[in-house]
Amino acid sequence: MSNFLLAQLTTPNADVTVILPEIVIAVAGIVVMLYDSFFPKQRAVSGAIGMAGILVSAVLLVSMWGDTFSGTAWSGMIAHDNLRLSFGLVFLMIAAMTILASTLWVEIEGVPVGEYHAILLFATFGMMMMAAGNDLVVIFLGLETSSIATYVMAGLRKGDLRSNESALKYFVLGSFASAFLLYGMALVYGATGTTNIPLIAASVGAAKFPALLLIGSAMMIVGFGFKVALAPFHVWTPDVYEGAPAPITGFMAAGPKAAAFSSFLRVFVLGFPLVAGAEAAGLLHETWISLLAVLGIITILFGNVAAILQNNIKRMLAYSSIAHAGYATVGFVGAGLAKTAAERNEAIAAVAFYLFVYAITNLGAFAVVSLLGQRNDRRADFEDYNGIGFKAPLLSFSLSVFMLSLLGMPLTAGFIGKVLVFRPALESGNVLLVTLVVVAVIGSAISAYYYLRLLVVMFFRERAVEWTPPRVPSPLTTAIAAAVIAVLYFGIFSNGLIRKFSGTTPQAAEVRAER
Amino acid sequence: MDLITQNLLTILILLPTVGAIGAIVYQAVTKTDSHQKWIALVVTLLNFAISLLLFTRGVPAIGGFEFEQNVPWISAIHTNFHVGVDGLSFWLVLLTTFIMPLSVLCAWTAVEKKKTAFYASLLLLESAMLGVFVTLDLLVFYLFFEASLIPMFLLIGVWGGKNRIYAAVKFFIFTAVGSLLMLVAIIALYYIYAGAMHGTGSFDFVEILAAMQSGKLVLGSEAGMLLFFAFALAFAIKVPIFPVHTWLPDAHTEAPTAGSVILAAILLKMGTYGLMRFNFAFFPDQARETAWIFIILAVIGIIYGALVAMVQPDWKRLIAYTSVAHMGFVVLGMFSFTELGMQGAVYQMLNHGVSTGALFILVGFAYERRHTREITEYGGLANVMPNYAAIFIITTMSSIGLPFLNGFVGEFLIMVGMFKSSILNVTDTTNWNYVAAMAAGIGVILAAVYLLWLVQRVFFGKVTHAENKKLTDLNAREIGIMIPLLVAMVVMGVYPRPFLERTDRAIKTIEARVMKSAGGAVEKTELDTKALENR
Repeated sequence: MSNFLLAQLTTPNADVTVILPEIVIAVAGIVVMLYDSFFPKQRAVSGAIGMAGILVSAVLLVSMWGDTFSGTAWSGMIAHDNLRLSFGLVFLMIAAMTILASTLWVEIEGVPVGEYHAILLFATFGMMMMAAGNDLVVIFLGLETSSIATYVMAGLRKGDLRSNESALKYFVLGSFASAFLLYGMALVYGATGTTNIPLIAASVGAAKFPALLLIGSAMMIVGFGFKVALAPFHVWTPDVYEGAPAPITGFMAAGPKAAAFSSFLRVFVLGFPLVAGAEAAGLLHETWISLLAVLGIITILFGNVAAILQNNIKRMLAYSSIAHAGYATVGFVGAGLAKTAAERNEAIAAVAFYLFVYAITNLGAFAVVSLLGQRNDRRADFEDYNGIGFKAPLLSFSLSVFMLSLLGMPLTAGFIGKVLVFRPALESGNVLLVTLVVVAVIGSAISAYYYLRLLVVMFFRERAVEWTPPRVPSPLTTAIAAAVIAVLYFGIFSNGLIRKFSGTTPQAAEVRAER
Repeated sequence: MDLITQNLLTILILLPTVGAIGAIVYQAVTKTDSHQKWIALVVTLLNFAISLLLFTRGVPAIGGFEFEQNVPWISAIHTNFHVGVDGLSFWLVLLTTFIMPLSVLCAWTAVEKKKTAFYASLLLLESAMLGVFVTLDLLVFYLFFEASLIPMFLLIGVWGGKNRIYAAVKFFIFTAVGSLLMLVAIIALYYIYAGAMHGTGSFDFVEILAAMQSGKLVLGSEAGMLLFFAFALAFAIKVPIFPVHTWLPDAHTEAPTAGSVILAAILLKMGTYGLMRFNFAFFPDQARETAWIFIILAVIGIIYGALVAMVQPDWKRLIAYTSVAHMGFVVLGMFSFTELGMQGAVYQMLNHGVSTGALFILVGFAYERRHTREITEYGGLANVMPNYAAIFIITTMSSIGLPFLNGFVGEFLIMVGMFKSSILNVTDTTNWNYVAAMAAGIGVILAAVYLLWLVQRVFFGKVTHAENKKLTDLNAREIGIMIPLLVAMVVMGVYPRPFLERTDRAIKTIEARVMKSAGGAVEKTELDTKALENR
């Protein structure tokens, strides 16, 4: 052990180029902050700087894709694989969409723009570190960076009581969950003697204290379960989502959730694999798979049933986001049961793709909701949408496309996402997982009711009072149009992206197909 | 020309979608929605004309398809855009392209609000329905199957009657529940295939079927039964088979005329088509074992549909219930597993499309004039609208099954098929197929009762309501809509041979697949179309 550490110390492997995308985002955040303090009047610029940073970071990420993966960097602290790259891209997309979608809101509410954009970029940096972290410590640091930034964002509307309540609730419960997570990590360290995930995976078979490992992993499930809002750790979600301003809600439902999934996947699928011949590892593997499958079932049923009862669209979307965490879990446990590395990568890519699609759809939906909601999101009940369908056809069409994609209708990206995450679970042939898939399908059928309800009120009902469609500023138009195009495009031409995410080159896939 | 015939099916699917986009763009550019109906009419007529090119090729070989195209779609999950037609889908494609221009025409003046969206939905619906009938990839099939829901949902919900929202949501949820379970079965089949072939899975109908026929892929009895029911439920809801039919009367009644016509004429056929294409081919043993359930449900549907239709005060709802009864006939014929019965089932699908479609159009004409569907509000219409009455009565006769009109051929074949069927043989001496056939016969009699009674109440006697005295008879457009339908009824009734010849080989293949895998002797019921003509 000491030799190992010493060897690392003598040759510090500090390869900056590997984490350049993350660094660019952090620097962009700092630049925004500095710029804002020197030129407080020119507020539009901070968003532009943020967008530029995101663009550069995305280009860097994509350019890294071709690399022959070295696997890890920074003495094994940073992972450099498809999981990191694909989730990183998802986060950047989320950040860009959020900046675009919140332009109008920022104007109306008089939010301190520079701070807002800086915090958003820091949150994105934290999320990217969560996906890139190959070490429990890095993951935790990333998680805290993004969480603290998100707590602040939830409370940005200082004058509004609900926003404050939302931020405080999120902060208190979130810290509680972080504590669980950290304690779990400590216990796992105690059992395996390392915080490095590949090393944990190598040593679970011969863990010194199997009980510690089990308790530790259970606590980590609680911690991550809170962050991704799996039932019964979801109770904070509806209140926080309803209270926070709509663009931030969209961000929270997409970003931190996807980020938590990325680390959750890395820790459990890669850190606690099935080790042949090792009883403790086998027990651990079986336990977390079954536990997550059961949590997934509860989450899907609860999220969907509760969503039906909502009259507020933001609340409905909050509960639906719980249900979607459940669907993503289906792919997650599928990845846990994958038999080969290729299958596992495909399953992980499926979850990444699912969350990508969910994020883009959800952000688009929240952009429309925030636009129609006016100041303080006052108009966010189903009734407020009565009969606007043919009065604002483009907005309503966009919102309908988002709802249908969330529902998983064919020809939208949501359908492809669902097929992808259900696949690995069905492939395993495990009875519990097949049940999970069937529950997920029933959940989708239930969800038809509340997603369609929005279409019904928009297109089928008549509007009693006069209503004029709102003016849509161009950044918001860009965001909504990009989301609609992406949802429809990836509903039909998703092949390239899936391949990129799973890291299968076309040749490799053909070889497998021939076999 | 080659370019067209080589991509024929793709063109058929895409053209209406292009038309829909064109209609929307036209609205966006010119800010007017008065010409969209022309766009819709031209596109649907053009699609019909193109679909006639299907005749340029003969009947495909056993298990084969014509106009086949196979293009990779999402290679990451090995799903392909694989299309082709065989005897089973041939006439259904033509039925779709034939009915669509007529339903555009029958909405010509009836639809007054949001015309662009209406015609765009209609055209998108055509794309989806054609996709369902020609796709040979299970995932893509599911995609079209579900995609057809949205336009229909909008058609009912936006342009429907008073209770439209309830009907639209009910329609959507019923169908979505069934088809989602089918999606699970489709993905499961993918992995069962992968496991059996020791390689990657497949969504391809032809590949999976080939693996099953060669014995490489053997389904366990339990897994087979689960998969069979997952598929069957989706299709049974669509048909609809009693007791999952309850969405149909609401949807039919509330939908605008064009919507009802498409729903009755084409959408319901997706269910029976799916049963024949997928359930019978993939799960012949399960289909045989459960045939008694479907036959009982079909017979209940026939009798129940007829009885409920009889007491309906609402004209359109009455016709909607006749659909339950008529589709019961189709299911009965299919599950007789005799060549005659299955031929009859396919034929009856077309008949029902033509006759019931025509009935809905005719009800729509009356509704446009009087804005009521209550039968008691009419009476004596034959005095003021003689042409209308004549056409309606001919259509009624076709629906009842009068010889020399199309309905007769289908019902006759189905009943003969059921009579000859061995599927209900409990032992050599006890068999229930006579009972089923006779019950179906009662259904025919009941059909005559409710339809003739309707005719009597609506058309005969004196004009009882003053408003009805000044009703105008059908105009040129309306007669123009009806003429192709009437011609189809007569041609299909008098000269069924070309129709049956096209489907013959496909039906024989299915029958052989279902009955041969029983291990017993295949009952040879040679179809003598000549005898039918000389009957």
